[in-house]
Amino acid sequence: MIGGAPFYEFGRFGEGTSLVIAVLLGIAFGWFLEQGGMGNARKLSGQFYLTDLSVLKLMFSAIVTAMLGLFWLSWAGLLDLSRVYVPETFIAPQVVGGLIFGAGFATGGLCPGTSCVAAATGRKDGLALIAGMLAGVFVFGEASPAIGQFADSTGRGAWTLPQAFGLSYGTVVGGIVAVALGAFAGAEWLERRAERPARPMKVVA
Amino acid sequence: MTVDARRRPGIERALAIVAVVGGALAVVAGSPTRATRGSVDVTELARIVEHEEDHVTAVELATWIRDDKPRLRVLDIRADSEFADFHIPGATRVPLAEIARMPLDSAATYVLYSEGGTHAAQGWFLLRARGVKNVFFLRGGLYEWLEQVMNPRVASTTPQAQRDSVRALTLWFGGKMTVVDSASTTTVPSVLDGALSTPHKSDTRESIKKIRRRAC
Repeated sequence: MIGGAPFYEFGRFGEGTSLVIAVLLGIAFGWFLEQGGMGNARKLSGQFYLTDLSVLKLMFSAIVTAMLGLFWLSWAGLLDLSRVYVPETFIAPQVVGGLIFGAGFATGGLCPGTSCVAAATGRKDGLALIAGMLAGVFVFGEASPAIGQFADSTGRGAWTLPQAFGLSYGTVVGGIVAVALGAFAGAEWLERRAERPARPMKVVA
Repeated sequence: MTVDARRRPGIERALAIVAVVGGALAVVAGSPTRATRGSVDVTELARIVEHEEDHVTAVELATWIRDDKPRLRVLDIRADSEFADFHIPGATRVPLAEIARMPLDSAATYVLYSEGGTHAAQGWFLLRARGVKNVFFLRGGLYEWLEQVMNPRVASTTPQAQRDSVRALTLWFGGKMTVVDSASTTTVPSVLDGALSTPHKSDTRESIKKIRRRAC
């Protein structure tokens, strides 16, 4: 038997069960985001002032964990990687969208997921951001006839890093682990530096 | 900071080591998607095709189904709506793209069919490339099935025993055998001799009409 997962793709359970599992995973996701302090806009915006890089560390932890899990499960034949959904790449619209997203993230201090977490714990800024997000979705939907052509431009399909760099899958996995560990070390260094606020910053040549 | 108070450097170090080892081994582990990456022995495949060991006839398939051949998997690679209209009993609908990545049972015998024979033959190649040994396709496709299992035309000069066996097989699948004047047909009509132009009273007639309008 080749490939047991993704379970839903192989019909191991139906739509009803998958919805129940989605709810449970969603609750766990929100719970752990809150536990990690990700519902706090002050903490998240520390990212942009290089004083608290929890978001960077959390994202890289999640990426490395999921990536190694997918790679090795697939390697062992327990998972069919070709059945794992890969969102499509549209270079120009995603660069523009990323900039808008980043500006919103830096301004509001929350991203879509964390704004839900913040709202669930009763933070008003979270609620405000959810309202803004829904308004943005509405505006985009109304404007899509006008900007649809741009939104669909420079499409590359499901474009993965191994394809983009012409490297083997394993090499990319190893490379990302190295980058993540480097980012961790850099983030810790920045945080240690930020914890000494009394001392004026010295430029070391 | 409060976060620092909860930190456990031992666990962090262990997780970092796991990540480093997992990442380093991944570099030399080879492709994780080898399951869908097939390879074929071209010479062997050419030999199989040349010796006509790659396909089954409709009558052979019908006999396998009737005799409950162990681990037989009949795969219909036509569209969903066509499958809903009519399919060979016990068949599973699998789109051709799915053939390339569906989970396989190496001990099973796979039989692929499409309307004609082309798509099934292509699916045969995909399954061979994925390492399945017991895989066949219905050469004449559903045409052949309808013609030789559901509505066979047997010459009146055919020996009684042979006629009875054809009739029994046809009846098992709910079809109808027609005995025709020996001058107008051979014992087993070929797909090409226009046997389908004779209208038959059968529940598959609508399917036949539909199929004849399509090119596959």
